[in-house]
Amino acid sequence: MVADATPVRSTGERPVWLVGLAMWQLLLGVATAVGFGMVASSTGIEIVGTPRPLTMAALGIFSILALLAATWIWRFDHRGRLIAFILNLVLAAVAGFFTLQAVNVFNGLDALSATFGDGLPFLAVIAVGWLLSGWSRGRSGRWERILLTASRGLMIVGAAALLLSVGLIPGLWTFLTRIVLPPAIIYLAITVFSIAALRLLKTSQVTKAFGSTSKQLEVMDGIAFVSPNILGFLAFLAGPLAISLFVSLTDWDGLSEASFIGLRNYIDLFADPFFHRSLLNILYFGLLAIPLSIIPALGLASALNMKLPGMRLFRALYFLPAVAGVVGVALIWKQLYNATIGYINYAILQGTELLNLLPFLDLTAPQPQWLSNPSTAMLSMVIVFVFSTIGFNTVLFVAGLQGVPPSLYEAAELDGAGIWGKFRNITVPVLAPTTVFVTITTTILALQLFSEPFILNAPQLSPNGPANATLTPVIYLYQNAFERFKQGYASAIGWVLFLIIFVITLIYFRTQREEGVLTK
Amino acid sequence: MTTAAVTARRRHRRRSLLGKLGIYFILGFFALLMVFPFVYMAASALKTPADTFRYPPRVLPRQPTTLEVNGEQLPLFLLPIIGIDTQVVLVEEGIEAGVFVDPGTPQQELAWPLALATPTGGQATLEGETVEIYSVQVGSTSTDLALKRNTVVGGFESAAGEETFAVVRTAPAAETVSAEWKNFSEVLERPAMERALSNTILVTTLVVAGVLFTSIMGGYAFARIRFPFRNAIFVTYLGSIMIPFIVVLVPLFQLMVAFDWINHLGVLVWPFLFNAYGTFLMRQFFVGIPGELDDSAVIDGATHWTILWRIYVPLSWPAIATLGTFSFLYAWNSFVWPLVAINTANNESYVLTIALRQLGGQAVESPNLIFAGIVIAVVVPIALFVAAQRYFVENVATSGIK
Repeated sequence: MVADATPVRSTGERPVWLVGLAMWQLLLGVATAVGFGMVASSTGIEIVGTPRPLTMAALGIFSILALLAATWIWRFDHRGRLIAFILNLVLAAVAGFFTLQAVNVFNGLDALSATFGDGLPFLAVIAVGWLLSGWSRGRSGRWERILLTASRGLMIVGAAALLLSVGLIPGLWTFLTRIVLPPAIIYLAITVFSIAALRLLKTSQVTKAFGSTSKQLEVMDGIAFVSPNILGFLAFLAGPLAISLFVSLTDWDGLSEASFIGLRNYIDLFADPFFHRSLLNILYFGLLAIPLSIIPALGLASALNMKLPGMRLFRALYFLPAVAGVVGVALIWKQLYNATIGYINYAILQGTELLNLLPFLDLTAPQPQWLSNPSTAMLSMVIVFVFSTIGFNTVLFVAGLQGVPPSLYEAAELDGAGIWGKFRNITVPVLAPTTVFVTITTTILALQLFSEPFILNAPQLSPNGPANATLTPVIYLYQNAFERFKQGYASAIGWVLFLIIFVITLIYFRTQREEGVLTK
Repeated sequence: MTTAAVTARRRHRRRSLLGKLGIYFILGFFALLMVFPFVYMAASALKTPADTFRYPPRVLPRQPTTLEVNGEQLPLFLLPIIGIDTQVVLVEEGIEAGVFVDPGTPQQELAWPLALATPTGGQATLEGETVEIYSVQVGSTSTDLALKRNTVVGGFESAAGEETFAVVRTAPAAETVSAEWKNFSEVLERPAMERALSNTILVTTLVVAGVLFTSIMGGYAFARIRFPFRNAIFVTYLGSIMIPFIVVLVPLFQLMVAFDWINHLGVLVWPFLFNAYGTFLMRQFFVGIPGELDDSAVIDGATHWTILWRIYVPLSWPAIATLGTFSFLYAWNSFVWPLVAINTANNESYVLTIALRQLGGQAVESPNLIFAGIVIAVVVPIALFVAAQRYFVENVATSGIK
């Protein structure tokens, strides 16, 4: 691989760009090494932002890699090019972030939101243009071209008007006045340099000089393409997750300095009666809500799969609650649950009266105080949860059934199978993988129950409900973290919940594997 | 064909017809359960506050009707005249009257002026008490009824000049189905609501655009570009779906505090521009596109960037529409994170979910406004869903589960 580069090296001449690249890497390596030394010598543990060992590790690794890259680039080794590419990508992201943070672009969204309302009509214009372009596709020759041009023009005009109306020009002016001041200008310089290095590393003259193969080039493309996801994942999910584990071992209150207390939070948690109560509540909730939002969905999906007219409409109607969102749905149900004027108790009353028309019956209609009675409060949450998830699960099952050839059902019919037989012997086994998926997602959702009790109990009751009947682990976590500021304790609750979900998921996977063996 | 076979087939057809009816019945029943709360929501959003508290509850919004008499708006009542419910106006109050009953059916009471009743001299026993029998004149007919107790009634008159009497306090108002459209403007005038609407649109637009971009890029890389540890990275990333968001809630909040993003709208956007599920969805779709297309493009010297946006993206509209709809719903309806990250004191950064939650707590006395708020919050996602339905119901899991 390096052999191709030999002629260049033998002349002893190194092009200017190569010297520049190597120097840039060297500079980065030295700078991060200095940074490493500075962090290492300073004292005091800090959790906010980044803990010191993490910062040191990041700087140290970066420094070593940068020096390595500089050496390898100097020797026309492709590995140097690859490492330099990764390092500059990370650097561009980090420095770019600091640039934007320094000129306050991230929070500048507030300024945009203040004027955004004025731009909404133009957003509608863009949407109309977009719909028009979709509609005009596939029209006859000349018309398609005319309509497409028109729709494109509409979208461009709409976008321009939108940008002007939300205050693009004053915004840009503010941006420019801020970016020329330090420290923004320094961050900007680093960003520009690293982007320039990235561009240079991708040029064909570099490829020629390093004798890189197309496979090696592809690696750089792959890294560049996944980098937004990976950087976002590291910054906003994996990083916080690691910090969370660390915080759960401290008594941090989110403000003052934390001290390491080992497993103390976890031990306290196992003796905490409120936490016990929340686990019992969520167990009761899960045992009711999970089967109730899966089994009827399975039945509905196999009915929808019969390919009768009107099935699309039904499918869409079932999906409605998932579309509307939990806050709206919960607020609607709060009115339905009203014990004196709500529709549910009214329906119970009417239903009972209807039943009492039968000669041998004389029932009194129960009129429960759904939300304020401890024995029905959690049941009310179950109903709302099932209402919001059953349609989504039905659609998942319908999708899972679409791979089944209709001939399978026809063959079963010829063998004299009834509706139940077909359901039992075809639908259920075919849907086994879907069922596992649906069960896992529903379980994860159910164990994190929060919004329903939070909305339905307000404002008369606290989210805990009557006599703590709707206290769930997530509500308890929320209260500890953001009302009592026991962030260490809250993190421990989060991890215990994570562990429970993880174990349940594993069990589901295990059973699916066993069932898979049985059906085969 | 034998007669037996024909009969069997006919029986089979009849049975399947019954089966179909049964299926429609079950599906219809569930559809009713699913849709009724939304019908109730939409209708209640158009009610007056008093109408929302009425018992027994009614679906359609109604308002009392009035009649202009001599330049005055008089409320109309609905009272029976000769057995027919008629719209009447109140013309006279404070008429001395009695409550009369037929001793045979003592539950049916009639409040009628004493002036129109003449004692017959007869007596009857009612609930253990002795009461007098009167000849009560209603319209042109007279009936013998027992006087239960005294009361005061109002005199009502219909447009045709017919007269009737009833206790004013309990007389049912004549109502017509009519919508209180001003509920919507009223709810938007409440603090934070209108701003919350435009904020939600802004946040959702940015999140959808970001998620689409990162997912298309990542999905393509995981499907088509070969690089070391590709599958290991992919599986790890996909596994992150199993991490409940609640575990990172506290540290993410602290990170946002460190960035000084708390209470700013950006806190709802910047951490959510990437999505493992979206990347997975796009990857699954891209894997299904035959590779010969891009092989020939590579020979022509096209870069991955060009191949992705020129060949793959135009072929992937169903997957993109699916992902777009999902991330739209996710961003539009997200509640826990805004609740934590946007302080209640700063309602300039409210989004609809938290504005609605606040409205639900404040407007207890006027549920009609709460309902109007919910309608505003759900109408956009529902419209979008109807438009994108065609694409995505087929796509929800075909790419997600296989």
